Amino acid sequence: MELTRRELLKTSAAAATATAVGITIPATALAKSKEAEAGMQWDKGVCRFCGTGCGIMIGTSEGRIVATKGDPDAPVNRGLNCIKGYFNGKILYGKDRLTQPLMRMKGDKFDKNGKFKPVSWEVAFDEMARQFKKTYQEMGPTGIGVFGSGQYTIPEGYTMAKLMKAGFRSNNIDPNARHCMASAVVGFIQTFGIDEPSGNYDDIEHTDTVVTWGANMAECHPILWARVSDRRLSNDNVKLVNLTTCSNQTSDIADSEIVFKPGTDLAIQNYILRELIKKDAVNHDFVKKHCVFSTGPYDIGYGMRGTDKYAFDAEKDIQAKELKVTLDKDEAIAQRRKEGEVVEQKNTKKPVKHWMITFEEFKRGVEPYTLDFVAELSKGDAAEDIEAYKAKLKGLVDLYADPERKVTSFWTMGFNQHYRGSWVNEQIYAIHLLLGKQAQPGNGAFSLTGQPSACGTAREVGTFAHRLPADLVVFNPKHREFSAKLWKVPAKTLNPKPGSHITKIMRDLEDGHIKWAWVQVNNPFQATANANHWLKAARKEENFLVVSDPYPTISAKVADLILPTAMIFEKWGLYGNAERRTQAWRQQVAPPGEAMGDVWQGLEFAKRFKLKEVWGEQKIPGLKAKGYDDGKLPDVMAEAQKMGYSPEDTLYDVLFANKENLKVKWPDATVSRGHGNHIAEKLGDGWFPEKALFDEYRQFGVGHQHDLAKFDVYYGDKVRGLKWPVVNGKETEWRFNEKYDSYCAKGSGFDFYGKALKKLPGGDLDKVTSKEKTSLAGKAKIFFRPYAAPPEQPDNNYDLWFSTGRVLEHWHTGTMTRRVPELHRAVPTAVLFMNPEDAEKRGLQRNDLAWIESRRGKIKILVETQGRNRPPKGYTFAAFFDKGVFVNKICLDVTCPMSKEEDFKKAAIKVYKA
Amino acid sequence: MSKKASNTRRDFLTRMGQGTALAATGGLVWMYLLNQQAHATPFAIRPPGSLAEADFNARCIKCGQCVDACPYDTLKLATAEAGIPIGTPYFIPKEIPCYMCEDIPCLKACPTGAIDPALENIDDSRMGLAVIDIENCLSWQGLRCEICHRECPVKDKAITVEHHPRRISKHAMFVPLVHSDACTGCGICEKACPTQKAAIRIVQPDLVQGQIGDHYRLGWTIDTPITQDFKTDDSDRTGNDTPAPSLDFLNEGSL
Repeated sequence: MELTRRELLKTSAAAATATAVGITIPATALAKSKEAEAGMQWDKGVCRFCGTGCGIMIGTSEGRIVATKGDPDAPVNRGLNCIKGYFNGKILYGKDRLTQPLMRMKGDKFDKNGKFKPVSWEVAFDEMARQFKKTYQEMGPTGIGVFGSGQYTIPEGYTMAKLMKAGFRSNNIDPNARHCMASAVVGFIQTFGIDEPSGNYDDIEHTDTVVTWGANMAECHPILWARVSDRRLSNDNVKLVNLTTCSNQTSDIADSEIVFKPGTDLAIQNYILRELIKKDAVNHDFVKKHCVFSTGPYDIGYGMRGTDKYAFDAEKDIQAKELKVTLDKDEAIAQRRKEGEVVEQKNTKKPVKHWMITFEEFKRGVEPYTLDFVAELSKGDAAEDIEAYKAKLKGLVDLYADPERKVTSFWTMGFNQHYRGSWVNEQIYAIHLLLGKQAQPGNGAFSLTGQPSACGTAREVGTFAHRLPADLVVFNPKHREFSAKLWKVPAKTLNPKPGSHITKIMRDLEDGHIKWAWVQVNNPFQATANANHWLKAARKEENFLVVSDPYPTISAKVADLILPTAMIFEKWGLYGNAERRTQAWRQQVAPPGEAMGDVWQGLEFAKRFKLKEVWGEQKIPGLKAKGYDDGKLPDVMAEAQKMGYSPEDTLYDVLFANKENLKVKWPDATVSRGHGNHIAEKLGDGWFPEKALFDEYRQFGVGHQHDLAKFDVYYGDKVRGLKWPVVNGKETEWRFNEKYDSYCAKGSGFDFYGKALKKLPGGDLDKVTSKEKTSLAGKAKIFFRPYAAPPEQPDNNYDLWFSTGRVLEHWHTGTMTRRVPELHRAVPTAVLFMNPEDAEKRGLQRNDLAWIESRRGKIKILVETQGRNRPPKGYTFAAFFDKGVFVNKICLDVTCPMSKEEDFKKAAIKVYKA
Repeated sequence: MSKKASNTRRDFLTRMGQGTALAATGGLVWMYLLNQQAHATPFAIRPPGSLAEADFNARCIKCGQCVDACPYDTLKLATAEAGIPIGTPYFIPKEIPCYMCEDIPCLKACPTGAIDPALENIDDSRMGLAVIDIENCLSWQGLRCEICHRECPVKDKAITVEHHPRRISKHAMFVPLVHSDACTGCGICEKACPTQKAAIRIVQPDLVQGQIGDHYRLGWTIDTPITQDFKTDDSDRTGNDTPAPSLDFLNEGSL
């Protein structure tokens, strides 16, 4: 980051330049622009893109968004935006916007092998329901699936979760957020017993040490990074450390950059833990009062299929590791075993089980992680001197250990998209908890989110295969009972067996376990690793795939039915960002053509199902739960009738437009303020679905540590989002800290009150030794998790690492940002960032076209040796936004076995000239 | 122009005159100068390694081989509208910039040396200079853009990003700066700039570059250790037989 003063001087040269090339606006033009400004109406909103959650203001004129600005009153961004946020107003107006339902047809009938033709919504829903019912009757609730999203608005996620779980009795709804933060969730639930961060973004201004682990915040959380940079610049005592596998823009302002080998973050964490104990930097008082130690099994596999039946030949050697692993030298040391030992993966079905251990056992666990061992194992840049690297690791320990220092650790996909993603999440909490540096201003491990409502919708609403709203889970009988009561459905309507996670929905489409699927607010056929399998699965004769999207994506291309969908400011909605801040916006403009919002699509589909079609007995293969016959959900019609429902009632009548909700009128005197609501207007039965559903949903969390304010509160002119729990109208800044969080027990100081997984048996490092369970109420867990080697690593044939992720200019699969001409022009295509020496060795020059080949597929890509990312030798990176450079054909669908989140960061490839 | 063949015969006056004409008066002066200098317009952005404008025009035989060799269709031959000698190669960065091929095929194709074969490293080419209009640059307002920096093929040399405090909030500004000692003028930044009109443009360096006096060094830019073995040069003190120029003043006239 050292910039010479000479360079600083050039500022003034540039200032002079502006005068030379500046264009003077004539007075008449100025007057004209003022006139145009006068006709504009402004309203508050939220940026459509990342999890930062910047506030924006939206300016409309004559039914069109003509301008946006960063909201100067938004505490997150104070009027600023990144270059994606700058273009919020343009994402709605791509030339190829879908405006009518399209179905594959031959003649006037649906045909799997037909061409897409425009049809009416009526025809579209008829076919969609016919196909649904065919599969549902044949296979029951497990034969259907929904690909949900961390970009759903809260009412959208809630509509679909309720429709699937309470209506269709299926848990096969899982969001793309699975690929984004599931490991973070497992980390939260296992460590604290409750999801989401204890701190908030103000930690940045309170801390004096920021450590980024596998988070290129400079590009992926640009506005937050501006806050971190400001903190660094305003105080020389503030230190930034960037731990990464590839030198990147985040390193540019860092005081220390630690480039490590993929997967060895686990070893570095254990080295830190060991050193903290050796130095006696442990906050014994905090640990004794608020923590326990814990561990679990190591032989948990890699989240691949247990069979090679569906694997390509080239994939079989990696797939075999799901069953058996031969320990390499480093794993043997790290796991206190012998090199070459063959370890059967016995705990692939129960990877999350864990037990309490003593501090002495914990110490024994981290003992092998000496500086020499870890430095040798983890050093990621062959060109770096080992002693210099060791000095950096020691420096990192010193920063964490310094009792005078506050430390905030940030991470995103480097941790989460990891074959041991849940473990690395837990280990970062272990470091902070051991030091007592958690849940205080400036002190804490803070999981950043990738998507705008991964927290607000996917997690809080619970659009996951195992979740219900407010951290409730389907396999807990009390949670089901509570949810069924709130939803006013018979107790045994809900299905106790977790459904298929998003990768499994893909696998289910491939192997015939799911035959009907609906994609909403995401593009999974471009965004899921090992895509060649799933593209083929989508086109299997017996599968019916519906894709709701505003634009023709890869997923739309492999669909059977495409539903044109309204975009963010064409509907009412709320998002929840990474700091638990819930923010709302109104409909600003009408959607184009016949495009309709996802809430409407869900509600309209619900109208096509009568209770008698879904609430009879249903088979659920493999279901075993107390109070249920094996493999079956009971017929609940009799109970439903006792509750006053008729078999002829539709799911729309019962779940959505019920008596309570119909009382919530559209237009609404308090919040509608003349804004339209295309969904309420099209439904035409006088209710305000977004408001009714939100206020119904919030009842799950009120009084249960997840309190949201009422719908109307978020629409207040002065409100710029509120951080939950919102108790007595007051948001919570730091959770688990008695000073700030009213849920903490009086006099506790800190209270990790999360309820999940708070009764554990005891054991040693290897096994449970005492089955008797102890309550850990109010405590957090410090885990020991050993280093495990990545299942796929470069070898003689596939000799380079490959990783994927984002660039600042584009969002995910580029569906929106690639429709903004300016962003497309700036970064038209994904390139392969590689080390110049690696390129030269392969006879490649910058901008040459090359093949990337992995065990799973091959793609063509342009080589970039002088790019923004500066990989060490042996490492490559390409972003996944570009459908023309189909990166996910290369990536490996290994997942963290606990979180089921895919590891997009570690594939082995070869690169050669095209 | 390559670094080596840097502009020794630049016509400062013409360029400055044309710059003014564009910015201020538009028509008349510009037409006059065009008529005067029809064979050497300084606004043409030439292939990498091209000689100084007059030399280039003298050597270029308008064969079009460089245009054929360009793999990106960046280069084109001037037509009458281009306002430069018809048939000579040039490019417009906002349309297609120079992608800076490592093997410089346009240069290899040139049969006359109008594109100077002395240029070996494409990074040494000087086709123009990027300048930032800081009033309209998003990054200079605090937005997180810096696309020019990330897309610059000689990033961290030609364009760097500096972190400035933003007085009105707790966000640092990431401001891009262009460095003429490394900017090749390839125009990738201008092409990539996302503002409605590009806030970074390729121009002829002389239009915008000033020069610090030869008599002064910026104290922090170079190390100048105190000379330990100082060599006195007193050649001027011997054989000085020119009369003192001030004698006339001293001796003539009355007070």
